[in-house]
Amino acid sequence: MDMSGEYRLDLPRAQVWEALNDPDVLRACIPGCEELEQTSDTTMTAVVVQKIGPVKARFSGEVELVNIEAPSGYTIQGEGKGGVAGFAKGAADVRLVEDGDGTLLSYEARAQIGGKLAQLGSRLINSTAKKLANAFFENFRTHLSGRAGKSDA
Amino acid sequence: MGQLKLSVNGRAVSRDVPGETLLVDLLREHLRLTGTHVGCDTGQCGACVVHVDGRAVKACNVLAHAVAGSQVTTIEGLADGGGLHPMQQAFNENHGLQCGFCTPGMIMSGVDMVQRYKAAGRDLDEPAIRHELEGNICRCTGYENIVKSIQSAAARM
Amino acid sequence: MSTGIGARVRRKEDRRFITGKGRYTDDIRNDNQAYAAFVRSPHAHAAVKGIDKAAAEAMEGVIAVLDGHQLTGDGIGNIITGWAITSRDGSPMNIGAWSALATDRVRYVGDAVAVVIAESPALARTAAEAVAVDYEPLAAVAQPVAALASGAPQVHDNVPGNLVFDWEIGDEARADAGLAAAAHVTEVEISNNRLAPNAIEPRSAIAIHDEAEDHYTLYTTSQNPHVARLVLSAFYNVAPEHKLRVIAPDVGGGFGSKIYIYPEEITCLWAAMKTGRSVKWTAERSEAFMTDAHGRDHVTRARMGFDKNGRITAFKVDTIANLGAYVSLFATATPTYLYGTLLSGQYDIPAIYGTVKAVNTNTVPVDAYRGAGRPEATYLIERTMDIAAREMGMDPAELRRINFIKAFPYQTQVLLNYDSGDFPALLDMAQKAADTAGFAQRKAEAAARGKLRGIGYSTFIEACGLAPSAAAGSLGAGVGLWESAEVRVNPVGTVEVLTGCHSHGQSHETTFAQLVSDRFGIPIENISIVHGDTDKVQFGMGTYGSRSGPVGMSAVMRALDKVEAKVRKIVAHQLEASEDDIEIVAGEARVAGTDRKMAWHEIGLAAYTAHNLPADMEPGLKEGAFFDPVNFSFPSGCFICEVEVDPETGVTEIVRFVSADDFGTIINPMVVEGQVHGGVTQGIGQALLEQVVYDESGQLLTGSYMDYCMPRADDVPSYAIAHGCTPSPNNPLGIKGCGEAGAIGAPPAVINAIADAIGTDDISMPATPQKVWEALHRARPAVAAE
Repeated sequence: MDMSGEYRLDLPRAQVWEALNDPDVLRACIPGCEELEQTSDTTMTAVVVQKIGPVKARFSGEVELVNIEAPSGYTIQGEGKGGVAGFAKGAADVRLVEDGDGTLLSYEARAQIGGKLAQLGSRLINSTAKKLANAFFENFRTHLSGRAGKSDA
Repeated sequence: MGQLKLSVNGRAVSRDVPGETLLVDLLREHLRLTGTHVGCDTGQCGACVVHVDGRAVKACNVLAHAVAGSQVTTIEGLADGGGLHPMQQAFNENHGLQCGFCTPGMIMSGVDMVQRYKAAGRDLDEPAIRHELEGNICRCTGYENIVKSIQSAAARM
Repeated sequence: MSTGIGARVRRKEDRRFITGKGRYTDDIRNDNQAYAAFVRSPHAHAAVKGIDKAAAEAMEGVIAVLDGHQLTGDGIGNIITGWAITSRDGSPMNIGAWSALATDRVRYVGDAVAVVIAESPALARTAAEAVAVDYEPLAAVAQPVAALASGAPQVHDNVPGNLVFDWEIGDEARADAGLAAAAHVTEVEISNNRLAPNAIEPRSAIAIHDEAEDHYTLYTTSQNPHVARLVLSAFYNVAPEHKLRVIAPDVGGGFGSKIYIYPEEITCLWAAMKTGRSVKWTAERSEAFMTDAHGRDHVTRARMGFDKNGRITAFKVDTIANLGAYVSLFATATPTYLYGTLLSGQYDIPAIYGTVKAVNTNTVPVDAYRGAGRPEATYLIERTMDIAAREMGMDPAELRRINFIKAFPYQTQVLLNYDSGDFPALLDMAQKAADTAGFAQRKAEAAARGKLRGIGYSTFIEACGLAPSAAAGSLGAGVGLWESAEVRVNPVGTVEVLTGCHSHGQSHETTFAQLVSDRFGIPIENISIVHGDTDKVQFGMGTYGSRSGPVGMSAVMRALDKVEAKVRKIVAHQLEASEDDIEIVAGEARVAGTDRKMAWHEIGLAAYTAHNLPADMEPGLKEGAFFDPVNFSFPSGCFICEVEVDPETGVTEIVRFVSADDFGTIINPMVVEGQVHGGVTQGIGQALLEQVVYDESGQLLTGSYMDYCMPRADDVPSYAIAHGCTPSPNNPLGIKGCGEAGAIGAPPAVINAIADAIGTDDISMPATPQKVWEALHRARPAVAAE
C-alpha cells in the first residue's frame, strides 16, 4: 500500500536534515524501535517490535539510506524479518523544502508484508502502516520542537 | 504458577500446569479428555466448546488457570451415568452429525442455548438457533439437521 | 423396523462421536511421543541460501532439527502426481520436482524447509521459530493468467512458461463449423473461485518406527490409507509395503483434501526413523490454509452457438487451470478428465471442443475438492445457458428443456457415455417443489417490500464412481479404480465387512451394514464394518468421487453373492434339499414350503465346525470380491434457488432452495439427504462467501476464519429435497453416488438467481454484498439512484 503525508517543522532545513541522518533521533522516533545501530554512513541495523492485528513480532533487519540529495531528501528503506510472523519491508521518499524560517517535510511511503502477518493482518495493514508513518513523523516533529526549544533557551 | 484446582465432569482435579496452558490443552493433553476438539486457532470454529459453571466457553480461548475453582463440563461428562443427554439423543435421531468432529462443540453449544432461552422464557425457533450457531462451524451437514436436532432436544429438555 | 436397503436407519457410528469418544489422529498419543513443527517459507518464491539450525538445536527439549538436504540424502523420493496428461501437440506434461522439504528454493508461502522434533508441541513451535533461514526473495506469480504471460516469473526451471500441459478434448473443426452455422452465439468469460477445503479436523500424522522389526506405522487423516501406503512405499522409499502399516482412524471430514500424500506425513515417517521417537504433527488452522490442497481456480472463455430454435449447435471452451506451485496427486486429472469430459452437461450438443492450459503459480498446490472438475464444468455450462437465455429472450428452464438429452445410453462428444437419466422429469419435479408457477407473485410481493427476488436453475450431471480401471489406465491414470470387499461370517453368525473405502463422515458403518442386513435379514447390531487400516483390509482405493456407493458397495454385493452361494450349499446339504429351494429370510435359511430351517448362527457354526459339509467344500464362511465398474455412474439433478437481494446493501438471502436428484438406488435416504445438505451448503459457500485470496506477490491473505468466510448456519436456508430414480445399469445395486452433487449443482443455481434478481450477468463468485451492490449500480443506475 502507498501512503503520503506532509509536516511543517519550525527548524531550518539543515537542522532537519541533520536530524534525519542521526541514528539517535531515528531510534527515538521509530515506533517500537528497540535497537538501531549505524553500520556505515548509509546503513543501520534495527530491531523493532510491532503488533499488527493479532500478530506481535520482533523484527530485525537492515535500514538503508539511498538517493541521498543533501539537504533536500533521501529514500529510507528497510526490510525486517519477524520470524514465524513473516516479514515487512518498506521504503519512504522524504523531501525537505524550505518554507520561510521552517521546513516542509513531505513523504511518500510504500510497505509490503508477508507470511503470517499477511494471512492474519492484511485487513489491518493499511491503517496500521498509516498509523506508524504518522507516529514516526509526529515523534520526529515533537523531538525536533524539543531541540528548537533548547536552542531558543 | 502453582497447583490448579477445579472440577471437571464432577470430579475434583488438581494439576501443576504452566500458566500459559489453555483450558483445551488441560482437557486434551493433561486429562486426556479428547472429546473436546481444536478446529481453528482464532476462536471461530467452536469445536472446543465446553461448559464452565454452566455456560458455554471456547476452551481454546481460555487459560486453564483462569477457570480455577470452576465446574467444567465436557462432552464426556454431559450425560448422567451411561445414558445419553437429550441433546446427544437428538443428534443421533436427526442425523445431526457426519464426520463428528464439530459435534461435541455443537452439542455443548446446543445445550447452552436451550438453557439460556428457557431461563429467559424466550422461544428458541429455527432463526434463533441458526443465529445462535454463529460461533460453531460445520463443514459436513449444511446445518440443516443440527438445527433440527437442537429444536428437537429443546422440546425434551 | 427394517434395517435393509432404503431404510432410514439411524447411524451406528454416532454413539462414540456424540459422547466424545471418537478416536481421531490427534487424540492418539504414544509412550515415546515427540512432536513436529515445520519451518515454513514466508515468501512466495525465494532461493534458500542457508539454514542456521544452531539456536534451535541448542534449546532444551529439542530432539532434532532436520532439513531437506538430509531428507533427500536419505533417499526419500520426490512427491508424485498420479495421472499423466499428454498435451495436444503430443508432448508429455512438464512437472517440476517437489521434495517434502525444500532444499534450494521455496515456491509458495508455507513451503516447508525444515522440521523441528521436540518434547512438546509448544517447544517444537518455539524452536521452529529459532531456525534462521536465509532467503533471497525472487519474483513471484500467483494468478494463472499472469503466469502464462511472457516474461512471467518461472516457478520451475524445467516448466517453460509455467505451462504444465496444454490439453484438448473434442473436435475443433466440428465445433467451429457449429459456431459458424449458429443463429446466435453466446460468449462468456467466467472464473471459478479458488477455495480452501476446510475439513474441520485439521490434518494430522503420527509416525512410529519399530527398530526391532524395521517396521513403520503411520496414523494419518487420510481418505485412502492403502493408496497412501502404496505411494509412500513405491515412490517415496519410506519403507516397503509389508513394513508399513497405514491407519486412518476417525477422520473429521475430507472433501478431497485428505486424498493426497502430503510432505508432512512423509517427513514424520522419516523423522521417526531418524530420531527413534514416535513423531506427531497436527496442523493449526492457519497451517491448513497454507498447505492443504486448494480447489477450483479456473479462468475460462467459452462460446456456445444456438440455432434459431434455441438448440445448441456447438460449445467451444478455453480454460486456464491453476495447479499451484507443485503438481499434486490428482491435480492433473481434475481439470481434464473430470472437467473436459463433462462439458456436454445434460444437453445434446453435437459439437464440443475444449482446451485446458494447466499452469504453475507460486501458490499452494490445487487439487480435487468436493466435485473436482465437475463443479467447474457445471458452473460454466449452467451460467452460459442462463446468459444465452437472457440474450435470446427465452425462458431459462425452457431453453434447458429443449436441449435435454432424452434417450439413453447417450454418447457425448467428449468421451463419456451416459448410462441413464430422466432430465425432464427432474426439472418437472423441482419446478413443482419450488412452486415456480407462483414465482411471479412472490417477486411482486418482494418488490413491494423493496427486495429484488430472482430465480435460478441448475440442471447438471456428474460422472461418479470413477472409471473402469482399464479405461482410466488408457487415459493416463497410475492406478486402477476398482474397489475391494471381504465379508467374514463368524462362527456365531456375526458379520464383519472389510472395505477398502474409508468413511470420514459418509456413514459407511451404517449403510454398508444395511446391505448385509438386507441380504440375510440379520440384525444390524450384529454387523460391523472394518476400514481404514492396511493391516486389516488387504487393499482398496479409498473414498472420493462419490465412489463408495457405486463401486465400494458393489464390491460388498459381489462378496455377499459368494457368501450367499456357499450358505445355500451348506444349508441344502445339511437339510438335504435343493439349493434352489433355499430361502434366506429374517436371519434364517429354510427350505421353501417346509418347516425345515437353519438359524443364521447355526449356519456359521456348521461352516466352521466343518463336521458336515459337502464333500468338495472348504471350511469357513469368508468371501472377498474386487469390483471394477464397467463405466462411470451418472447422477443428475435439478436445483432451483430463489433469492432476495436487498438493493440498498447488496445482501443476498437465499429464501428457497429445492434439489431434485437422481442418485439411482438409495440405501439410506437420511444419509443421502445429509450429503445433499452438506454439498449444497459448500456450493452456496462458493457462490456467496468463500474465496482464497493471494496478493500479486503471492502472499496468502485469507489465512484464517477471520478472512476466509465459511458458511454459518444463518447463511443458508432449510432445504427441500426430492429424489427421482433411474437406476444405474452398471452396478449391481443401481447406485449412482451422492457425495458431490450439492457442491456441483449449487453454485450456478445461486448465481443465476442473483443475476435474475439484479437483471445483469455481470456478477462473479463469490457474490459478496459489495459485488452485488456494485453490479446492480453498474447495470441499473436509474434503479440505484431511486
